[in-house]
Amino acid sequence: MRRRRFLQQAGAGVGAATFLAGCNTAPTGDDTLTIATYSSFTGEDTAGAWLKSAFEEEHSDATVEFTTPENGFNQFIQRKQQGAPIGADMYVGLNTGELVRADEQLDEDLFRSFEGTIEGSEGVKESLRIDPDGRVLPYDTGYISLVYDEDEVENPGSFDALLEPEYEDALITQNAQQSDPGRAFLLWSIHEQGPDSYLDYWEGLLDNGVQVISDWEPAYQAYTNEEAPMVVSYSTDQVFYHGPDVDMSRHQVGFLNDQGYANPEAMGVFADTDQSELARQFMEFVLSERAQAEIAVRNVQFPAIEGVTPSEEFDEYALEPPNPVTFTYDELVGNVGTWIDDWAQLVASN
Amino acid sequence: MTDTADAVDRTPSDESGVELDGISVAFDGVTALDDISLSVAEGEFFTLVGPSGCGKTTTLRAIAGFEPPTEGTIRIGGRSVEGVPPEERDIGIVFQNYALFPNMTVRENVGYGLRFRDSPGDQSPAARIDELLDLVDMEGMGDRDPTELSGGQQQRVALARALAPGPEVLLLDEPLSALDAQLRERLRVTVRDIQQELGITTVYVTHDQAEALAISDRVAVMSDGRLEQVGTPEAIYREPASRFVATFIGDNNLFEGTVTDTAPPRATIDGQPFLLPAGSEVSAGESVTLTVRPEAIELGDGDATLTVTVDNVEFLGDAYRLHCDWQGQSILVKTSAWTQTDDAVELGIDRDDVRIILDSD
Amino acid sequence: MNERRWAERLAIPLGFVLTVAVLAVVFYYPVWSVFSQAVWSDGGPTLAPLLDVLTDPFYTGVAHYLFTDPLAVPGGIATWLQAGMPAVELGLFGFTAYQALLSTVASVALGLPGAYLLARYEFTGRETLRSLTILPFVLPSIMVAVGFVAMFGSQGFLNDVLGLLGLGSIEILYTLEIIVLAHAFYNAPLVTRLVAAAWESVDVRRVETARAMGASRMRAFRDVVLPELLPSLLTAALLTFIFTFMSFPIVLALGGLRLATVEVWIFARVQSLALAEAATLATIETVLSLLLLYVYLRYEDRQSSASSGGTPLARRPFLVGWNTLTDLRRIGLLTYGVVALAVFVGPLLSLVVESVTGPNGAFTTAYYEFLLSRQTATASGTTRPLPAIINSLVFGVGTLLLAMPMGIVVAVVATRDLPGSRLAEAVLTAPLAVSGVVLGIGLLQTLVFGTVLFGHRFTVLGPVAIVLAHAIAAYPFVTRNVAPALGSLDDRLVDAARSLGATRTRVMLDVELPLIGAAVTAGAAFAFAISVGEFDSTVLLASNVDSYTMPVALERYIGNRSLGPSLGPATAMATVLLAITAASFVVIDRMGGRWDL
Repeated sequence: MRRRRFLQQAGAGVGAATFLAGCNTAPTGDDTLTIATYSSFTGEDTAGAWLKSAFEEEHSDATVEFTTPENGFNQFIQRKQQGAPIGADMYVGLNTGELVRADEQLDEDLFRSFEGTIEGSEGVKESLRIDPDGRVLPYDTGYISLVYDEDEVENPGSFDALLEPEYEDALITQNAQQSDPGRAFLLWSIHEQGPDSYLDYWEGLLDNGVQVISDWEPAYQAYTNEEAPMVVSYSTDQVFYHGPDVDMSRHQVGFLNDQGYANPEAMGVFADTDQSELARQFMEFVLSERAQAEIAVRNVQFPAIEGVTPSEEFDEYALEPPNPVTFTYDELVGNVGTWIDDWAQLVASN
Repeated sequence: MTDTADAVDRTPSDESGVELDGISVAFDGVTALDDISLSVAEGEFFTLVGPSGCGKTTTLRAIAGFEPPTEGTIRIGGRSVEGVPPEERDIGIVFQNYALFPNMTVRENVGYGLRFRDSPGDQSPAARIDELLDLVDMEGMGDRDPTELSGGQQQRVALARALAPGPEVLLLDEPLSALDAQLRERLRVTVRDIQQELGITTVYVTHDQAEALAISDRVAVMSDGRLEQVGTPEAIYREPASRFVATFIGDNNLFEGTVTDTAPPRATIDGQPFLLPAGSEVSAGESVTLTVRPEAIELGDGDATLTVTVDNVEFLGDAYRLHCDWQGQSILVKTSAWTQTDDAVELGIDRDDVRIILDSD
Repeated sequence: MNERRWAERLAIPLGFVLTVAVLAVVFYYPVWSVFSQAVWSDGGPTLAPLLDVLTDPFYTGVAHYLFTDPLAVPGGIATWLQAGMPAVELGLFGFTAYQALLSTVASVALGLPGAYLLARYEFTGRETLRSLTILPFVLPSIMVAVGFVAMFGSQGFLNDVLGLLGLGSIEILYTLEIIVLAHAFYNAPLVTRLVAAAWESVDVRRVETARAMGASRMRAFRDVVLPELLPSLLTAALLTFIFTFMSFPIVLALGGLRLATVEVWIFARVQSLALAEAATLATIETVLSLLLLYVYLRYEDRQSSASSGGTPLARRPFLVGWNTLTDLRRIGLLTYGVVALAVFVGPLLSLVVESVTGPNGAFTTAYYEFLLSRQTATASGTTRPLPAIINSLVFGVGTLLLAMPMGIVVAVVATRDLPGSRLAEAVLTAPLAVSGVVLGIGLLQTLVFGTVLFGHRFTVLGPVAIVLAHAIAAYPFVTRNVAPALGSLDDRLVDAARSLGATRTRVMLDVELPLIGAAVTAGAAFAFAISVGEFDSTVLLASNVDSYTMPVALERYIGNRSLGPSLGPATAMATVLLAITAASFVVIDRMGGRWDL
């Protein structure tokens, strides 16, 4: 008898799936703002958690809900492509390459334009304005640099130095196909070596034993485990690692050619939202000085607004490159995909 | 000579028993059963006998519903069972390897069918199980595991299990073949007794012709997917309808040849004159086989007398079996009167002990 | 009574239809939605994407000449032979097959002595050891990767030991070697289990016959035992090859881009939204692995029909006092034990050690405190450990309830010797041979985004969808466990029960399943563990942020930087996951007895 019920329950399970079908759409209540982002932006002690509670405090009838789809921003490009409901009102945590990809993949705009109506957006640093159409606004930025162990190597100081025997098997970077800092480092190298000769440069790097690991976390972990004395990371490294019992020799930030590659994080409001007013208010809140300082500290990134000082501690340990560089949106359009594909094929066949 | 070599069983069908009407079974296009028609009367003990691969087990499985016939109709109790799955056919089956459920005790095995069918005569299942265990002489063994039992005991339990729900038909597939010779003979008497006591229609499959003759009301001899002959054990033994039956059932002596000349009561076959049994007719040009059983041959004179040399003598306990040579043909003789030691012996054959099989097929 | 009988008569066909229906919704349709992009464009069939891939030396290496210039191939081979067979460009597919081959060899090398030990020696804990060999196979790869780094990294435990012994150090992280080793970690137990089972079924009488006829011990092994082991060995090798050919997370985590396999590349193409190219690669990959799977099923079929009853070979006691150390074979096995300890226990132990070791090498409970603080945190979006554990267990039980009947029904169908049943089985076992990345993108496009039917957009999301997807991943393992056991049962048992009035379903429940309890338990253990370790479809199908499971939590903790960039919280979560997986195995083991694969 027991086994009979077992079969019946199995049958019931299938039935339930069918009942469930068709009743799941975006949870857009009257005053609910659904924000899509990456998962480490939310949760205890994060910028996301602070933004939610602070914003809800200021707007008593508003509720902020986060959704963190596993395949990130791509999910929304694909939803738009297939005519599926977007399921969120805005996206937070977009980079230039992703915006370019969305525009290349889609005929319609995924984001609505807000230019001129966002209070505070005039304060955004000029070098971080990634969208010429003003659809998305940066809210913070990181600068890609090297982090190295000064007991083992000297700061290479230039891209060319990385090809020297001194730096054989010394560098860990990330896969530009899926990792933000990895992509930024590749773009930086293209920025410096030029689109026609960056592959030759990378051929040299590969010959010199550069390690290309899937993402930032495992790459940094490998660096921590002393698999190599240098890793591509952020210039805010020491914000994480300082204090009386930390050996700072392993947390030296090295800029190449006196540069760091800016990798701004931006936010935008989906064109299909019916909460554009609330979303606009949220963007304004994010750009406010109070929020900018909090985000910088909690996200360990530099503020996007000119003249914001997050905290003394942050100021002391977050290093800004003398010359921030980055590709503009227009430079990336039509190129970034090919650049990365060619690079990946080169790495994978070596 | 009621049955002929194309062996169609003509026992009139009645409302009970089992009836097969033109049954054919093919596996992957290979014919396993070819147009089998037979009927088993209610309460009859009917045996299918033949060498391995002759189709006897397939016939049984077709009756049970495990092999759907490609052609023909099977009726159990007068009703066609086409499309009826085995579990609805009201049969009981016993296999050679017992097939007791190892995860159940003896009682649970015997009582298994009572979960799906009512005990006959409104008995409680427990009482029915006791009755059956009693019937097969296994009282008191109900709580054992099947694996603790000897082969003979396991087969008794299998029989009790098959009988417990009071099936209309009992099917036995070589039930005794895995047992040793003595046990086999004892148990076949038990099986026959129980069958008689219950009066249950029984289809029994065996490759052992002696067993078939010993316990059956009627026997069907099968070969190569076809029925060779159906009849009582005596008829099958005494009046074999084909050369196959003549050789498969019991020991036999065969003389084959073409009739070259007839002068009743004699005929010349391949140059040898033979004395034919009374009332038999053969004509020149026919191929015939004459058969005579070893026990029908006597030492000394008969209607016909052959002079043979004795090659070998086997002592069987109750008789001797002589392997003789007669003009290059071997002849078996079974006699209790063997005393001679010399090589040349005269054998006498009575003309009425000779059977003629016309090799028409 | 009558209705019940009808229900029972329909149960198996209906179960089969339902299984196919679930497969259609959660597997075939999503996967087809991806594959169709490889062969269908602008409303018509096309070969262009396929040819693009096949003719690209990056993908196919020297084999691309087969498609670009087939006539020149014989000449090319002749030239190559004359040149002394220099190394050739393998291309992505070639490299993937190459690493799969190496992994298969390594798995066999690491698995065989284990089979010998388990089949031929008696020692305390043998049964438990045998049960535990199933464990590596079902551990989430995120966790195994973390463990491997902790064990084999340049600062790993192994190098610490080597350093202590004055043996220098090894650098194998991000090399082909570590990938092969990790693949062996997953698949050597498979070899061990399959070969040990075959070894145990060798009839001692055959060996004795050979010895009586004058064969030496070695000769008897070669002539009698080996031929009976070979089929199981080949089966295990084929399965290992299929699994490692499609390997993804291990290569991604331990190899880096320079060692990319086809599956890693498919993932990258999906990330770049080059879906047609990803689909094309996946189509080729799937065709190859389905072919191998078909070969495997045919082979396994022949093998199960050859299995024999009879008395197994007697086990020798492993420990025989001091003599243990004078017997070459036992010394060899002890050495093997040390290697096996390093490969199998090392990573898991390192993981546990890592979870209580601070950055400066001192003991710390900070990471477990972190888990506790997450549990009590109030901010939305916080990944709490307890719900992760509970979700994992609930999904695991749900998967069990669904995958068991599905797997058993398919096994019943598969053991019927009908024409084409091998092919049908291959199709029904296809979830084994289709890339996880492809299924993921397919699920996203169909179930998550929804499908328009009758003017409504239907989405299938949430816990039920997760359980369905887990069941699809798990039931082939139930089938693989149950089908051979079912096939070895005496058909007469089924016939006898049916003649007594039991429907086919009742026979299965009353007789067959109880008799193959061990195999059913093994299937259950697999189904449960696969569900607990499953990551990809869980994250896709979880419609709300609270449907996360233990592996998902683990992954989120890796990305959590509130303790700085540290694997600490992840190793703590991984330890919890390891403990719960192992505990559920023990529970299932105790409930259902020993299991075999």
